[in-house]
Amino acid sequence: MAVIETRGLVKRFGRVRALDGLDLVVPPGEIHGFLGPNGAGKSTTIRVLLGLLRKDGGEVRMLGGDPWRDAAALHRRLAYVPGEVSLWPNLTGGEAIDLLARLRGGLDPKRRAELLERFDLDPTKRGRSYSKGNRQKVALVAALASDVELLLLDEPTTGLDPLMEEVFTEYVDTFRHRGGTVLLSSHVLAEVERLCDRVSIIRNGKVVESGTLADLRHLTRTSIDVVLAGPPDGLAQLEGIHDFDVDGDRVRFQVETDAVDRAIGALHRIGIRTLIAQPPTLEELFLRHYGDRIRPGSAPEAE
Amino acid sequence: MSASTLTGTGLLTRVDLRRDRVVIASWTGVLLLMVVASAATAGTLYPDEATRVRAVHALNDSPAIVALYGPILDPNSIGELAMTKLTVLYAVFVAMLLIVVVRRHTRVEEESGRTELVGGTAVGRDAPLAAALVEAVGLSLTLGGLAALGNAACGLDVAGSVAFGALWAGTGLVAAGIAALTSQISASARTCAAWAAGTIAVLYVLRAVGDTGPQWLSWLSPFGWNTQVRAWSGTRWWLLLAYPALAAVLVGVATVLRAHRDLGSGLVAARPGPAEGSPRLADALALALKVHATAIVLWSVGVGVLGVVFGAITPGLSDLLDSLGMQDLIAKLGGYFLAAILSVVSVVISYFAVTVVAHTGRDEEDGRTEVVLATTTSRSRWFGASVVVALGGTAWLLVEMGIALWIGYVAASGPGVGNLLAAALAWVPAAWVTAALAALCFSVGPRWTAVGWVWPGAFITFEIVGELLEAPRWVLDLSPYQHVPAVPAEPWDWPAETGLAVVAALILVLAWWRFRARDIG
Amino acid sequence: MIEINGLVKTFGAFRALDGLDLTVAAGEVHGFLGPNGAGKSTTLRVLLGLLRKDAGTVRLLGGDPWADASELHRHLAYVPGDVSLWPNLSGGEIIDLLIRMRQADPRRSRRAELIERFSLDPTKRGRAYSKGNRQKVALIAAFATDPTLLILDEPTAGLDPLMEQVFNECVGEHKERGATVLLSSHILSEVERLADRVTIIREGRVVESGTLSSLRHLHRSRVVATVTGTPPDLSATPGVHDVAVAGTQVSCSVDPEALPTVLAALTAAGVVGLTSAPPSLEELFLDAYREQADAVR
Repeated sequence: MAVIETRGLVKRFGRVRALDGLDLVVPPGEIHGFLGPNGAGKSTTIRVLLGLLRKDGGEVRMLGGDPWRDAAALHRRLAYVPGEVSLWPNLTGGEAIDLLARLRGGLDPKRRAELLERFDLDPTKRGRSYSKGNRQKVALVAALASDVELLLLDEPTTGLDPLMEEVFTEYVDTFRHRGGTVLLSSHVLAEVERLCDRVSIIRNGKVVESGTLADLRHLTRTSIDVVLAGPPDGLAQLEGIHDFDVDGDRVRFQVETDAVDRAIGALHRIGIRTLIAQPPTLEELFLRHYGDRIRPGSAPEAE
Repeated sequence: MSASTLTGTGLLTRVDLRRDRVVIASWTGVLLLMVVASAATAGTLYPDEATRVRAVHALNDSPAIVALYGPILDPNSIGELAMTKLTVLYAVFVAMLLIVVVRRHTRVEEESGRTELVGGTAVGRDAPLAAALVEAVGLSLTLGGLAALGNAACGLDVAGSVAFGALWAGTGLVAAGIAALTSQISASARTCAAWAAGTIAVLYVLRAVGDTGPQWLSWLSPFGWNTQVRAWSGTRWWLLLAYPALAAVLVGVATVLRAHRDLGSGLVAARPGPAEGSPRLADALALALKVHATAIVLWSVGVGVLGVVFGAITPGLSDLLDSLGMQDLIAKLGGYFLAAILSVVSVVISYFAVTVVAHTGRDEEDGRTEVVLATTTSRSRWFGASVVVALGGTAWLLVEMGIALWIGYVAASGPGVGNLLAAALAWVPAAWVTAALAALCFSVGPRWTAVGWVWPGAFITFEIVGELLEAPRWVLDLSPYQHVPAVPAEPWDWPAETGLAVVAALILVLAWWRFRARDIG
Repeated sequence: MIEINGLVKTFGAFRALDGLDLTVAAGEVHGFLGPNGAGKSTTLRVLLGLLRKDAGTVRLLGGDPWADASELHRHLAYVPGDVSLWPNLSGGEIIDLLIRMRQADPRRSRRAELIERFSLDPTKRGRAYSKGNRQKVALIAAFATDPTLLILDEPTAGLDPLMEQVFNECVGEHKERGATVLLSSHILSEVERLADRVTIIREGRVVESGTLSSLRHLHRSRVVATVTGTPPDLSATPGVHDVAVAGTQVSCSVDPEALPTVLAALTAAGVVGLTSAPPSLEELFLDAYREQADAVR
């Protein structure tokens, strides 16, 4: 049975339909990437899952229960990290970690100590004197040190530097290996790409694409950027090659997945000096769904 | 509410208590001190029944006093006379404490996003409100219990002491209910606070009008019940049930409203602001004025009302003092009733300056200052804007106080009072010294800004305690307020005024010099 | 534009900047990298005249950032990473205020266009904005006029990928206009895309500085290929390292000179999928830190 399952989920704020029939399924043991721009409904979905918001329509099941009715009982089995953590100004970071963990039903003291060290966090400072990144770390340590089955992470790494992000990635990965399930909403697509088994891209309160990264990639092309030893004769006519562009000895083009071999062979015969070949990044996949929103005249935000 | 939506209430209550320990302890201590001081001195102030009856009649004859404290229903009861100020007026402080506590753990937490963080743990959705209310009930009962103990320990009637404690506890419960309800109104914690304070003010005024006019109005206000319980003789014990009943209704409505709104939202949708800034909003001073505009208006209204009321009370009170032959006592305290009022009000108004400076400190801690200083705004301008608003606002509020006192006085008893504008202006340099000291604290570093809050209170304590302990003159002289002539009872004193103004200027220059040279943030 | 030599800044016993050197030439986009606590923000705050240096020399736009602060600020715009707004002013008011405080006229700026591109609702009050939207307010105020220098301190934390694209475009437009940009960021792909030169700092000192290609030149490319036949044995090939074979997938690190040889071998085995990339900035960054961390241990 899926850990998270929503069917036709609807949530309205006044006249704005923040969620408009959202379907999301996260099976156990999976790290599921949840992507979409601000205002698409990611945080709203997570808040409905947490029972902080009441749904207006559709069905939601989480860990086999009803997130609104069984909120407190379900929350013992999950940990939540918001993207913007506010701490109690006069409690220390250590106190806040223990408080959050106790409210959840306990934590592993050994892992807590280890996380504090790995995240390089001083637990004796008061909430008001932490920077944004450190407040984030407090919430992350509290979540990752708890013994739970599900992590709901809503843009958990904004404000973390790349070193800390490595630590984060490592612990989320370990969590999965212990059998945990993760719903990870993030703007850092590289992070999603590295961690997630499957991703769902959401737009205007609906899931517009869902599947494994490989699935999604299969539909698209690899981009090649190559410096050749000789003239690129005949390359452009090969089947499966698109957007061909020559600039001196530098050639750039896109190639369909089943034509990669043919293209590389042809390049090799001409002689390769340097080569960059890249499958479409998650970012490109993402932007494909939103490309129309970047230019002026974009949709108004709904938050 | 159900068992599962209340999960975690106990744990949250303990955390709330821990976070509040300083606020609760200090506020409770001060309130208890007021109870004990009033109860203990009653016997010496009014040694026999005849003095008591005369005093009560004098008090009840003055509508201004009745409006302020409520009537004294039994002239023979020493307890009721001793508790005159505490029954209604100081009960407002009890209500304020409860509102601060409940709001702090409900709307403030929600606005900051901490409720969401906690809501993601195994904490029921009604638990934060429930925990705040558990604390509030406990706090109300404790306050009531301590008040009862204090009164009884000072030799007042035990049954009366218990009834008095119960009415304080009841006031606390109702205030907690009001806070719970008003916290549902707006997404902004500040707006919710204004609603709660406004409700308390309306209930107080309702009672004041009822006590001096149509009596049924008093019965509409819990503050009116405080008198009508008749704690000290012929107690209406049944009326004590009205407090928890009203509190329960308020909390019930709050819970229903809470259940029908989304986390973080209010019943009243936030109004959109202007899409473009006014061209006048272009420098640090305009920004400071804009940021403090609401506060200036609210302070002005408060000071205006207070001034008119005190002005109107004045003649009645001096009659009372004549009749009691206590002119000497009052003379010692401040020379003249109006001067005495101004001496207190000027300290209170000094707090306005402190709030302005504290705000500048918060701007810096939150990172707004660096954004402004990264524009062509210089440090001097930024510092100057804050100081101008702090000093200018203080001066304006004192001037307004003088005018309001005059209007109140003249309206109630015709012309014949001295120059109240000068009387109010006399306090401006002293208030400026306090403001300058707050600015000096801020100039040391944003974290030191909080020390600014200490000065006005410290100066008052210096004066009161110093006088009681007969401390040497120079100790008393440390307070700037000590040097102000009690105009209109005394003549204007140029050397003192100029001296204070120079001291304020010197401190400000020092603060400015320090702020220009220190690190930001 | 910016010239820093031997900059030292201490907070009590803590040496936040320990002899930092940084040069930013006119018209370049300069990436400024390092983990939290390495001294990035401290450097920027010294440049803005918010902090007083303890030693070293700092020149900004030909002036002294401490003494000439308000004059120099006429020519620069600054966006902090954690924007805090006035709770009771609307976004539009704050944008206009900040523009006016830089002695510019909002009505003759690109404010309206930027509000639309960043899809910001300017009528909301400061307290009601999410982190990303607060960031947008500061970015719009900075991009609306034509400053000579833009100092951006982790400006895109909290922006979604769409808004990051808009941000990238804006930086590009200002660069084209001839503006200089000092960009501190954790999002290395963003720096990689925008920056002409990067400086990586660690514990208050510069550990690596130069153009991306000069940094890359010192490092190996990563090749991952899926083949139809048996993966070729590359472990003996000179210039090829860290070879790993998993089923039909082979991965290795390749020195620049050995690339043609490797590709020939792969083609012979029938390539169906291929990733070959020079080290990303992220790898360079993490490498710089891992080496040092190992050295410390």
